[in-house]
Amino acid sequence: MPTPGCQYTIRIRGRLGATALSAFPTMGSEIRGGETVLTGSLEDSSAVYGVLAQIEALGLELIELRQFCPPNDREP
Amino acid sequence: MKKVTVISAPPGSGKTSLLRAWSYHVTKDRRIAFMSVPRDQRDAQQFWLAVVDAIRQTDAIDDSRLPAAAPVFDGDAMVDAVHSALAKAAGVVVLVIDDLHELTSADALSQLEHLLSVLPTAARVVLSSRRDPPIRLHQLRLAGEVAELRADDLRFTASETRDLLAASRISLAEAGAAALYERTEGWAAGLRLAVISLSGHPDPDRFVDEFSGTDRAIGEYLMAEMLERQPVEVQSMLLRTSVADRLNGELADLLAGRPGCDRTLLALEDANAFVVSLDAQRTWFRYHQLLADFLRLELRRTLAEEVPDLNRKAAGWFADHGEIVEAVRNTLAAGDWPDAAELLADHLFSLTLDGQEGSVAALLRSFPARAAAEHPELALAHAAVQLAHGRLDEAASQLTQAESHLQSVPPARRGRRAVATASLRLALARRSGRFGDVVEQVKELDMSTADGLSDLIGSESELRAVALMNLGIVETWSGHFADAERHLTEGATLAEAIGRPYIEVACRAYQAWPSVSLATARRRGHEAIALAERHGWGDRPMLAPAFGALASIEVWVGEFAEGERLLQRGWDVVQPDVDPAVAVLLHVVTGMLHGGRGEHQSALEALTAAERAQSLLSGAHILGRVVAEWLAAAQAHLGLPDDARATLDRFSTDDDRMDAISLARAAISLAEGDPAGALAFLGDVRDFMPPQGFPAYALVEAQVLAGLAHLALSDRDAAAAAAEAALAAAEADRLIFPFAMYKAGGLLDILSRRQTAHSALLADVVDLLRGEAMPRIERGRRTPTEELSPSELRVLRFLPTNLTRPEIAQSLNVSVNTVNTHIRSIYGKLGATDRGTAVRQARELRLLALGRAAPSK
Repeated sequence: MPTPGCQYTIRIRGRLGATALSAFPTMGSEIRGGETVLTGSLEDSSAVYGVLAQIEALGLELIELRQFCPPNDREP
Repeated sequence: MKKVTVISAPPGSGKTSLLRAWSYHVTKDRRIAFMSVPRDQRDAQQFWLAVVDAIRQTDAIDDSRLPAAAPVFDGDAMVDAVHSALAKAAGVVVLVIDDLHELTSADALSQLEHLLSVLPTAARVVLSSRRDPPIRLHQLRLAGEVAELRADDLRFTASETRDLLAASRISLAEAGAAALYERTEGWAAGLRLAVISLSGHPDPDRFVDEFSGTDRAIGEYLMAEMLERQPVEVQSMLLRTSVADRLNGELADLLAGRPGCDRTLLALEDANAFVVSLDAQRTWFRYHQLLADFLRLELRRTLAEEVPDLNRKAAGWFADHGEIVEAVRNTLAAGDWPDAAELLADHLFSLTLDGQEGSVAALLRSFPARAAAEHPELALAHAAVQLAHGRLDEAASQLTQAESHLQSVPPARRGRRAVATASLRLALARRSGRFGDVVEQVKELDMSTADGLSDLIGSESELRAVALMNLGIVETWSGHFADAERHLTEGATLAEAIGRPYIEVACRAYQAWPSVSLATARRRGHEAIALAERHGWGDRPMLAPAFGALASIEVWVGEFAEGERLLQRGWDVVQPDVDPAVAVLLHVVTGMLHGGRGEHQSALEALTAAERAQSLLSGAHILGRVVAEWLAAAQAHLGLPDDARATLDRFSTDDDRMDAISLARAAISLAEGDPAGALAFLGDVRDFMPPQGFPAYALVEAQVLAGLAHLALSDRDAAAAAAEAALAAAEADRLIFPFAMYKAGGLLDILSRRQTAHSALLADVVDLLRGEAMPRIERGRRTPTEELSPSELRVLRFLPTNLTRPEIAQSLNVSVNTVNTHIRSIYGKLGATDRGTAVRQARELRLLALGRAAPSK
């Protein structure tokens, strides 16, 4: 399960145009070669699934998804 | 074809097109039931109703037994119904479920899994989904019964790509076709989009060059291209109509702001341009999800300021056409949470009556987190959802919020909101068994409805029907039978008039209570069950009161086997979280049945359970007194007189005469060997009255107990007189149960050599007490060729006795010749040759056992 405040990097094949990027209003975007890299923080797992569902719904091809979580010293 | 076919491939792979093309190959022996799961379907019942609808449209199945919408959804029963419909279908039925990935109800998925595991031989199922459906198929896979199609199987090959281009009259150089194939990797949606853009393109090869040279995400690129190639008015229509999940020409015209959109939609579907019609008449359409998602993004990007207004227009249209879930969804999309909350609150009952709690719950989740605080009318919807799930405490707290908000509701809406709140409050109080509160609320409701209800009948009739139903139910349980009768009849009539059969059945299920006459109650009970069965609701909890009441009637008249069958059906339909008021009824009838059969230990257990269920109700249940009486009687029979007295002390109240308690005290004395004490408790038995709403059993029971006491005191004349009086009191309804419960065989024996005016009844009672169960009627077996006339029935009653023909003639004050004529006629109609056969036939046909009631069919 992702912990709150985790950073995500999502690589998608192809250069996303303005319309497709508007599907990910909370994420920053960057074009690298023939790929689009989305970065941003996602609140919880349902936000992550929401982004994945958008990618799928738009017929985009997901190459990679990475999660970077800040160290959490309040482990239960 | 394998039993199950799974098509699992990403969006735009051509799954739906493949299925639709294949579905056209309908033959007489193979019919296709096609359904698409709508977006984000969380409601199991809605899913299954769509399945049922698809099956119904194949015309392969007699649809009278297929289920309809209901507030309480029983998934297993639904699967059974679908299963038996498929099993009975003429020829092979292929059930095609498209877009299965949109089904997010775990219940529905596991029900579907169950259906697949028990699929009838002649049925086939095709599942189409973007992902492998979360359904275990390994058993079927091992049996070689699963065919699977994946993205690779659906991909266009290079030569198919060339065929597609040729068929679309697009001339491309060989290199161009190859480049197009390479770039799209045979992705069906990509090729289709490319074809749409290429049709009529002035320089197709240049398009392919640019397309191949770009790094833009292929789907987005092609969608944008496709949209740009459309005439301006088509672009505008596509963008503006994308706010609706589904649309017809009228709605599209409204959103696009121009007429004639239906032609545009038809043309787009014909051009294979990601527009899909939803019905055979092609009046409803939806956009392919790839297109819909793209259009919504593009709309938000380019025409953001119009989005709320378009949603409002769609919401208004849906609301006007009774599509409340869609209306609320679009209102929410417009960001108009107060309006959405009002809309939801105003139509809540209608939604729950259609069994859409799942959709209501989903809509509630779409409100922002703070909405509950800002929009107190949502509390009503929350309360309904919680109540439907049996979470009574949560429902109560939501309802309290709804009530505290009521005064701030504008007067125009306050009336109906008050009725809605009061009805929910009633349902909650009823369900929690707080009859005291219910009675209070009944009064309040009567007041709040008196001034404003007459004008609500048109627009808010379903609220009124629900209110009447709840009123009638609590009035039944609290013994206000005249009011219950009035309200339930009115509720059922209204429900029928406004096409709410579920409420009609629920009202009628409570009208089998024998507060009228046994014959009327029996007829009503069977009618309620028949009505429910016509709608496929024969196994619904709402029928439990009808089954319980009918079972009690059969036990009263000594038809224990039939009573047991009906009682079992009653227990079968109730759910584990059974309404305690209904549980009291079923436990009491269980106790009656055991008591009548002399199984006093089992009777004691059942009646103890009844007392326990009763204790969950804070108000007095109408059955409370007989629970006390019969529990004490069972304890007395088992030699536990102190327990029996304790039972009576627990139940006794001072508020009115408790003949039932006196009867039990007499029974205890009798069991303790104190017949004089028993007679003292009975006093003047002639005015013993049953609790209101019961058959006239108290006098029968009092005379039986008095007779047994006299017999114990060796006063045979007094005993015989009491026995005759018991039979006289029992005759009208043939109340055999009291004789069975107190084992009155010895008492009745002293009558057998004396004159009695109730010989037929006496014979039946004696037979029952000797353990000679009356013969069972076999279903569909012989019926009298002609019904017996009333005077023949009167003579028939004497046939089981040892009276001679002259004696019968004397009893009936007719001539012997008349009796002979009647007997010849009876033999003829029953196909009997002698008195013994005639009596046996008459018993099997229940001509003797039904009392004065007409024989039921």
